Amino acid sequence: MTASTEHVASVEIAHEARTERVPPGSADAPVLRVVPGDVVRVAALLGRDPQLARASAFGALAGGASLVGLVGTRDGRTFVERAELLREAHPDLVVALAPDRRDVDGVAELAEALHFGCAHQHPLPHILVAGDVRARDRIAASCPANPIESLPDVRTAAGREALVARLRAVRRRAQGDVVLRDEALEAAARAMAADAKADVVVLDVTGGATSVIHARLDGAVLGVHERLGVGAAADRLVARAGLDRVRRWIPRAVEAPALLERVFNRARWPDAIPASVLALSLEMALAREAIAHALSDAERAGVPLEGAFAAPLVVLTGRLAQLPRAAQSLLVAIDAFGATGATLVSRAPGDALIAAGALAARGRAVKLPTIDAIAIVAEMWPPRSAIVRVKDASGVVEERVSRGSFLLVPTHGVVEIVLPGTTVRPRAEHLELGVVIDARGRPLAIPPRDAERIPTLARWHAALDVLPTETR
Amino acid sequence: MPWRYWRWSAEHPLPLGASERAAEGQEVHAGDVIAAGTTYGTPVRVAGARRIGVAPDDLGRVMRVPIGGEVERRTIIARTGRRFARAVSSPIAGRVIHQRADGDLYVAPIVGRWVVRSTLDGEVTRSDDACVTVEGSAWALQGVAAYGPDAVGEIALGVETPVDELQPSRIDVRMRDRILIGGARATAESITRAHACGVAAVVAGAAPAGGLRVVYGDDATASGATTGTEAPTVLCLIGFGTAPLPREVFAPLVSLVHARATVHTASARLFVFAPENAGDFAQSAPSLALSDDWLGARPMDEHLSLAGMTRFASEVEAEAFATDEGPVPVANVLAFDAPRTPRS
Repeated sequence: MTASTEHVASVEIAHEARTERVPPGSADAPVLRVVPGDVVRVAALLGRDPQLARASAFGALAGGASLVGLVGTRDGRTFVERAELLREAHPDLVVALAPDRRDVDGVAELAEALHFGCAHQHPLPHILVAGDVRARDRIAASCPANPIESLPDVRTAAGREALVARLRAVRRRAQGDVVLRDEALEAAARAMAADAKADVVVLDVTGGATSVIHARLDGAVLGVHERLGVGAAADRLVARAGLDRVRRWIPRAVEAPALLERVFNRARWPDAIPASVLALSLEMALAREAIAHALSDAERAGVPLEGAFAAPLVVLTGRLAQLPRAAQSLLVAIDAFGATGATLVSRAPGDALIAAGALAARGRAVKLPTIDAIAIVAEMWPPRSAIVRVKDASGVVEERVSRGSFLLVPTHGVVEIVLPGTTVRPRAEHLELGVVIDARGRPLAIPPRDAERIPTLARWHAALDVLPTETR
Repeated sequence: MPWRYWRWSAEHPLPLGASERAAEGQEVHAGDVIAAGTTYGTPVRVAGARRIGVAPDDLGRVMRVPIGGEVERRTIIARTGRRFARAVSSPIAGRVIHQRADGDLYVAPIVGRWVVRSTLDGEVTRSDDACVTVEGSAWALQGVAAYGPDAVGEIALGVETPVDELQPSRIDVRMRDRILIGGARATAESITRAHACGVAAVVAGAAPAGGLRVVYGDDATASGATTGTEAPTVLCLIGFGTAPLPREVFAPLVSLVHARATVHTASARLFVFAPENAGDFAQSAPSLALSDDWLGARPMDEHLSLAGMTRFASEVEAEAFATDEGPVPVANVLAFDAPRTPRS
């Protein structure tokens, strides 16, 4: 049952196979549903500007859609190859980008290939045209049965927003009155940035998707939502990243075939729980690669990430926040997200933050739930050894830091750090773990051979006391 | 219930280039060709309407070879019937594959041929250039993932018990065109040997994910992969690694040996063509439990008791079932026929 936001008594959040209600209430009470949304497959027909491919990738990432096919007027493919590619892509939506007048003939040719490949697809894909009016007419003539809509130039912010709005509408289709999880996260990030009066980054990893959201103090929000995750989408992640990229994060020797079996079983077992330490390590490894791939795809699509890396607050949500130890969530975030300065890392276990975000996305004023501050992470790459001073309720601790150092300084009460070479003194009221000094450098150097890799990872895990000792 | 007798629908997506298709309403049998077509080489664009001086919409009226028709080199494709005739002829041998909105035509050489066979006994309910759908009644078993092309054959047992592993030594050319039932695991060696011996498909509780990637490529995922006819067909009923089949699933397969069957890869289903009263197959099966380290799955006891909130080795705390081998998280126990894909 759904209702207008004023009457909503609780928010129901869908996970892979189960739903959680926040706050738990009667099943008859009005409820606002938060869902991941349907998978939307987008194909792009591109004019000659090389920026168009990046712009369409940016739009797809921001809208949480899967870009399944790119055909360009200058891609060297034949008419039949283009048609085959588009038929196999089976797009729900086609974006035709022809901003240049000289693109009209080329894009019309691509539209002919689309018609040849997908004329009998059910339902027919809608075509969004961003370009010259003649391009739109030519595409309409080539694909007479496909519904055609206009779109502003997706290289501009307005065009991208229009594309994102359209993609989200398609993702909501047949779901009734719902809020998409990524919309809720973006609204929550915006509210947190306003509350903290600082830039906030939200890292959300679920079974089927990964989101990196940067909310600026001025209210602007930039989100990247990738269909890669630690559960139902774990197999896709391994297909994208390669098994070795995932295996390298596990602090023990694991045979690749057995690891792949675990990944495949997890992908077909919705909401499965990692009961063993190895399964937990695998979930952490998958989360690292999911975030890393979301970031690298965003970088390739031209998403500006400098501001996100410099944000002073990072909040972890989803499966990433539900790992048994806060140190586990923290280590995944530090390894995968290379902040450029001192960062306060917090986590929001449970679904309260998503619920608040969903209500905020509907324009309701909400009180944000408390989130657990885990640690202040000071990433540095000092040219020579330097002193870091950590002041807390127990006094002052001085740590000598050199390149390669990775250590935790446990703290109590109010914490303040004095870092070399900067006048900024990061402060926090209370930290669950303390201050983490990370001088490992970026990108992280993980040795390829197990004989060196395992001790290196074991040292990093031991520094934060990440994994429990196995008793069986 | 894992086994169900039902009226099923099987979609058969077609590649580009369909030249003949079963008509809607036509009765077909599993294994019958329901569509055939050609694969194309690099096409040639030929001036059409503008060459013979007609409007693009009128081109069809003067075409002598319809779209989709095969042509030889210099075959007249279209011609106006005036005294001073104008004609469009094909520059190559092949098929006229497409008419553009501006009236030009594409002619492509034929480089191969394909056929698509039905995986159900029944009636064609949709037939167009993208897909042929057949609806019909059959016993069916839903798996979690299938790989390779659709397969048609007779059921044959490759194992004695549902917990056995399918051994390559049990497979020889006498099993050609059979759908071979493995037990808890079909190894990569048994899959490749079965394919070499002409076995139509291998059906087992689980298959090694690494082996599947070797056979079907690194892009293969846990959702399965539909491929061309050159690859073997594998249906995983429960998961990956090792997964003994429940007695309620295996016993009907024993009874159905020699029955006609198909594997429909896209839906990951085994269809068996036996009468509805062939046996008491529709029995509920025990739930399945994912192992703690996710390396396989196993059937559970029929009567499970809750152990309450339990702290596992990973320190995850969750509701658990009590079993002889220790507590199992409730989330890791699923009914055999529970949906294995997340809700959107």
